[in-house]
Amino acid sequence: MSEAPQRRIALVDVNSFFASCERIFDPRLEGKPVVVLSNNDGCVVARSNEAKALGVAMGVPWFKLSAWAPSVGLVARSSNYELYGDMSARVMSILHEFSPHVEVYSIDEAFLELQGTPEELVEKGRQIKAAIHNRVGLPVCVGIGRSKTQAKLANSGAKKSAGLNGVCNLETFGPDRIDQIMAALPVDNIWGIARRLSKRLNSMGIHTIKDLRDADPVRIKKKFGVVVQRSLYELRGIDCITLEGERLVKNQVMYSRSFATPVTTRKQMEEVLAVYAQRVSKRLRKQGSVAGALTCFAGTSRFANEPFHSPYMNAVFSVPTNDPVEILKASSAVLLDRIEDGRKYVRAGIMLHDVSPKSSHQYLDLFTPVHESRQLGEVLDQVMEKHGAFSIGLGAAGFKSPRHWEMKREMLSLRATTRWDELATVHAR
Amino acid sequence: MAQPLSPWTVRPLSGESIPAILAASTAVQAGFPSPAQDYFDGRVDLNTHLIKDVNSTFIVRVAGDSMKNAGISDGDEVIVDRALTPRDGDVVVAVLDGELTLKRLFIRSERVLLKAENPHYPDISVAALSELTIWGVVTRCLHHV
Repeated sequence: MSEAPQRRIALVDVNSFFASCERIFDPRLEGKPVVVLSNNDGCVVARSNEAKALGVAMGVPWFKLSAWAPSVGLVARSSNYELYGDMSARVMSILHEFSPHVEVYSIDEAFLELQGTPEELVEKGRQIKAAIHNRVGLPVCVGIGRSKTQAKLANSGAKKSAGLNGVCNLETFGPDRIDQIMAALPVDNIWGIARRLSKRLNSMGIHTIKDLRDADPVRIKKKFGVVVQRSLYELRGIDCITLEGERLVKNQVMYSRSFATPVTTRKQMEEVLAVYAQRVSKRLRKQGSVAGALTCFAGTSRFANEPFHSPYMNAVFSVPTNDPVEILKASSAVLLDRIEDGRKYVRAGIMLHDVSPKSSHQYLDLFTPVHESRQLGEVLDQVMEKHGAFSIGLGAAGFKSPRHWEMKREMLSLRATTRWDELATVHAR
Repeated sequence: MAQPLSPWTVRPLSGESIPAILAASTAVQAGFPSPAQDYFDGRVDLNTHLIKDVNSTFIVRVAGDSMKNAGISDGDEVIVDRALTPRDGDVVVAVLDGELTLKRLFIRSERVLLKAENPHYPDISVAALSELTIWGVVTRCLHHV
């Protein structure tokens, strides 16, 4: 009867995170269609449910919507990564109170390890939801399962089914019901299965999530490799995906690792950041992208006999970049003075946000801060090629970007939690 | 739930750091001073003392004079803890007409009142607390003198 409590995994994510952050200090936006724009106010990168209901698609350039927006009450905001980053840090910190194992997966989602009976876990999920709602004013959904893939699936259930009140533990359903749910969902609804891949799966007769779960793992591995095989096992409830590593989530790129031996000094952490900055920027360059902001974090072990310490800081680039030196400079600038010599840090990571194709920022290249180690000649060549032989001379090589060349953020809300001169207003009238 | 104070959230709240006040931490005692007495054990950190829960605490700036009899003036900053349950007599940030608004909360058996601390402003009365959105509870006022 009394089974030992088993390890389960919860995925907690904030509903329409950017739009929800915008609503915290501007309650007028509650219930209104809200979109958040990419850097330079280019395209829609986040939508509230109301904006989705209006049919606003992800990635639509704002200039195509701006004339129509007022007639439907659609409100746009520039990306306020200072605010989103700070709210994210608060959410992640609260999650740490519920579990010693929290893996930040992206700016607005994290996996947690939990223990308990299925009913206890639902209760815990409700507590997490209430805590984040009461303390920071953000709505979250919680999905719980035996593996990360199951937790992700449960989470989407929690989001779509109003009756669950935002918390779904797959294990509270009987096997028949789970079969029914999995049979109703197309296979590309699984975390990690791209649409391109799903076409090939379809051609093998695998159309739904249930089809994949019940397929022959050996055959799947042979045809699609170990990644899809892992998804299959995960659907069966076998936890086998480690979350650490490089990955691309929406428009984010993350590099995060646990250390083999703890890092105990600021100097060492700087070296770690240097390596991570290089790896994460390589990933960006490989996909031809630049990032507009970053979150940089480190953490001590939850199990050490010392107070838990997990600095989590954000930086916004004045010009989107994929330059490793810029990324390192920004990470070091925000994180290093939070690092305390003598503490045993067991992990660190760099998460890049607001990732967009470099080609969409080409005119800004001219003003990108140029660090010393870059080949000046190469840069000059590129500029001249792009803008003509007289576009740039050596005299301008070392200038700093003046403010008016910075990212355009004309619809920026207040950076109300990170800037003393931009605190939100409370009316006394 | 106990709140470990993690330093990283303190900093963004303050932007520029809140001025620290130097203070002796040991009470003056008669008799022999302890040879182990510290002369200096760090500055008083206002974040530690003014903020109980760094994750649920926000600082907002006051516009208007409707709370002046509560010692809260136009341009003051107030510290708001969203985690606290609003109680009778608390100064709260309430959402009224989509705006964050400062009022004193009175919970009576028949009505719930939001009152200004200035006779020139009318009271707002509702049947129950559930009809209001209380954004947070004010714990401190950083009054400009």
